[in-house]
Amino acid sequence: MPRGRAAVSIVQERIRPTSTDSVSEILADSDRSGRKVSIVGGNTLAGMGFPAEGPDTTLETTGLTGVVANEPADLAIAVRAGTPLQSLSTVLAAQGQFLPFDAPQPHSATIGGTLAAGWLGPRRHLYGRIRDYLIGSAIVLADGTIARAGGMVPKNVAGYDMSRLYVGSFGTLGILVQANFKTVPRPPHARLFLAPLPENTRSRAMAQLRALAIPPAGAFWVDGFHKAIDGAAGDEGRIVVLLEGSNALLERATRDLRSALGRAGVPETTVTDAGARESFERVVDAYVACLGERSITYRVYPFADASEECTLRLHEVAQRFKLHAETIADVMNGDVVLRVSDRDARALAARIETFDDAVHEFEPRAQVVAGKNPQRDYLRVWGEAPAAIEQMRALKARFDPNRTLNPGRFVGGI
Amino acid sequence: MQPHLVFNVKGGHAAGSACHGELSIVLRERLIEALGTDAVKTAAEDLAVYAFDAYTDGGTPSAVVLPASTREVSAIVKIARDCGEPIVARGAGTGLCGGAVPTVGGVILSFTRMNRVLQLDEANRRARVQPGLINLDLSRHVASSGLFYAPDPSSQQISTIGGNIATNAGGPHCLSYGTTVNHVLALEVVDHRGEVFTTNIDDVGYDLTAALVGSEGTLGLVTSAWLRLVTLPQAVRVWIAAFGDVDSASEAVSAIIAAGIVPTALEMMDAVITQAVEAAFHAGYPTDAGAILLVEYAGLEEDADAAEAAIHAIALEHGARSWRSARSKLERETLWAGRKGAAGATGRIAPNYYTQDVCVPRSKLPQALRLVESAAAENGVTVGNVFHAGDGNLHPLLMYDKRDRKQVAAVVETGNAILNCAIDLGGTISGEHGIGWEKRDAMTRVYSTADLAAMGRVRDVFDPARVLNPEKIFPTGSRCPEVAPP
Repeated sequence: MPRGRAAVSIVQERIRPTSTDSVSEILADSDRSGRKVSIVGGNTLAGMGFPAEGPDTTLETTGLTGVVANEPADLAIAVRAGTPLQSLSTVLAAQGQFLPFDAPQPHSATIGGTLAAGWLGPRRHLYGRIRDYLIGSAIVLADGTIARAGGMVPKNVAGYDMSRLYVGSFGTLGILVQANFKTVPRPPHARLFLAPLPENTRSRAMAQLRALAIPPAGAFWVDGFHKAIDGAAGDEGRIVVLLEGSNALLERATRDLRSALGRAGVPETTVTDAGARESFERVVDAYVACLGERSITYRVYPFADASEECTLRLHEVAQRFKLHAETIADVMNGDVVLRVSDRDARALAARIETFDDAVHEFEPRAQVVAGKNPQRDYLRVWGEAPAAIEQMRALKARFDPNRTLNPGRFVGGI
Repeated sequence: MQPHLVFNVKGGHAAGSACHGELSIVLRERLIEALGTDAVKTAAEDLAVYAFDAYTDGGTPSAVVLPASTREVSAIVKIARDCGEPIVARGAGTGLCGGAVPTVGGVILSFTRMNRVLQLDEANRRARVQPGLINLDLSRHVASSGLFYAPDPSSQQISTIGGNIATNAGGPHCLSYGTTVNHVLALEVVDHRGEVFTTNIDDVGYDLTAALVGSEGTLGLVTSAWLRLVTLPQAVRVWIAAFGDVDSASEAVSAIIAAGIVPTALEMMDAVITQAVEAAFHAGYPTDAGAILLVEYAGLEEDADAAEAAIHAIALEHGARSWRSARSKLERETLWAGRKGAAGATGRIAPNYYTQDVCVPRSKLPQALRLVESAAAENGVTVGNVFHAGDGNLHPLLMYDKRDRKQVAAVVETGNAILNCAIDLGGTISGEHGIGWEKRDAMTRVYSTADLAAMGRVRDVFDPARVLNPEKIFPTGSRCPEVAPP
């Protein structure tokens, strides 16, 4: 038992520390005694990666909440890692700022979990990745060491960029306890476009969207997800487009977008301002929404100009296996979400492994991002190992030699 | 803290280098065998050329090699390892902190021959380039496709992509586009053993790309990089606002950022710099101003007028004495040429200049500038300020004559005092040039032992024997790894 255990509340074998020091004590003690620790934030992206191998302790980060420092005039804010995304967004919105996390279920998802998962949102073609906003951090390493990096200024080349190294590491190098961000002025207005795609319009519509002089904040070709995502479908699905900016900009962008869609042969477009961002968030929620044990969701990352073809191929493969396929193609970034399902969980389980082979034959880097089917953990959840897996294993060995943190959760058995 | 006050070039066979006598002949012969005579330089007069970068101190290498391919870089690393020589990568040598100079002898690997654009993927706005490519040449190469490479250090006419990656270089336009790390998509790297590995930000796994960017040649040698390109903006406006003093100009900068306006560039020059620049370039800067702000907006015509109105209003509120809008592309370029050539223009004031590079929270700019001014005054040094105000990234230029030891000492002392000012105001000791040799001992003033040990663990993995650019970044006396990884 670590000293200071009284300071933390214990739910069965779950621990929910409320301070950096107690995280440090818990890890130091676990590392010494060989206990494995799994880390959980809002539990919204548990469908990514493998579950940690037989953890003795589950450490919940949701007790580490709140703003540590807020400097609105400097466009900088520091928060504790268990803070829900929505809480941070609310604070930022009140001061005319935002951060383009664009992760599912922002009311539950934590800052730390979103960073640890290296979440890639649909506005990144415009704003960059969330890693590019992380200007400082505090991490507790496996042996309990508290290491800080960066600070509260937007430019900082003092030593290695440790903060970015922890982004996307799935908690296997350390536990993030604080994140400092540079923030962005919030675009004042948002507008949503929904349009069904009649036959023979999709290719042109996607090309037109990519070529817009004022790039939309987000643009999707959606096939399926009828209840989850707004908009009526046509023969070739539907498109969802979010524009953001000043009124003057939206005026011109609206004209451009309408005529671009007109050229692509898309006749009707619904335009709404009220609830535009909420509609957009529902698209992001759908990335990892699962139908209990009846679905498995993949995400693949082709370049934008190969997105449509990749999506069509995925539909073909699913059809071959008689699985119901629904897709979201991110028109601007290229990545594709594929949810395959069956009416019966056992029927899905029977076919999913061979389907998984077929998907990876075509798209070796395909990742499983959601799904509660019991067969899930037998799939190639991470896709093929990255080129530098040897260096990654060496990093893990140097940072966490006893494999205390989230063992087996990450790619290549890390 | 340093002071490496002495300008005597350090010997290539100083303590720490294993390369003596016969071994250095072996080194030379093996390098020539692998690369050919014209790619290997060992004559004293050739080595002297590589003894310095833009920092005040330097050191002589044992050999300088000019590889033309990844395979040759790999061969050089293996040969240097066999001969016990450390390896220092070098681009154009424009770095400010001694990052590209050998401190304990060793082989300098100069990338000037690896300067090609290897691939251009217009549809996905990216290009694969070699590390010796000059920054500006990339933007020129892709301009006809309506694209450009956003990070634009003032040295962009000579500094290389490899050096930019090593220091996570910034530049005026990083205010809105972000620094180099935001623009590197994938890397090909030769490691400490001479083996090649690749990283890609789209790969699952640890973000090794981010770890390598800004690592100042201590984790591997980048032999090619995929870089993100950005679409050329439709509308570009450049404005010049003149203020009575530096204080009111910095208050205006804070107010612009606080108002939620992020121009593409927001640069400040004080009176010392403005006058030097005007004399050198005739850029059209008002020479009677205490400080001027150079503001650029790039985006859409629709928003340009509103941006101008908002920024102009804030400038007036903070006492701007004049406001001018560039009317043509030529006029914009002239205004920018003055800014980019500012450091060189100080040659009119003193024979040498030393540039410090620190970053402070933007709201602390007025305070920071006052502290810089008083640190310089205390040491009797003339200071000129030209910097990326929008990012809070200060570049005090300290003028001196390096033939005068007293002036050199005063400059180094002032530079050091400025680091302390930045730390006291909650800032950092390097915004965009890195730590290199100069600032390594100041690292302990910003980071704890535990913080530095975490960075050391990364070093242990990528360079366990400390053969890649030794004596850089980590403070003097940081030791080799406690546990040597396999």
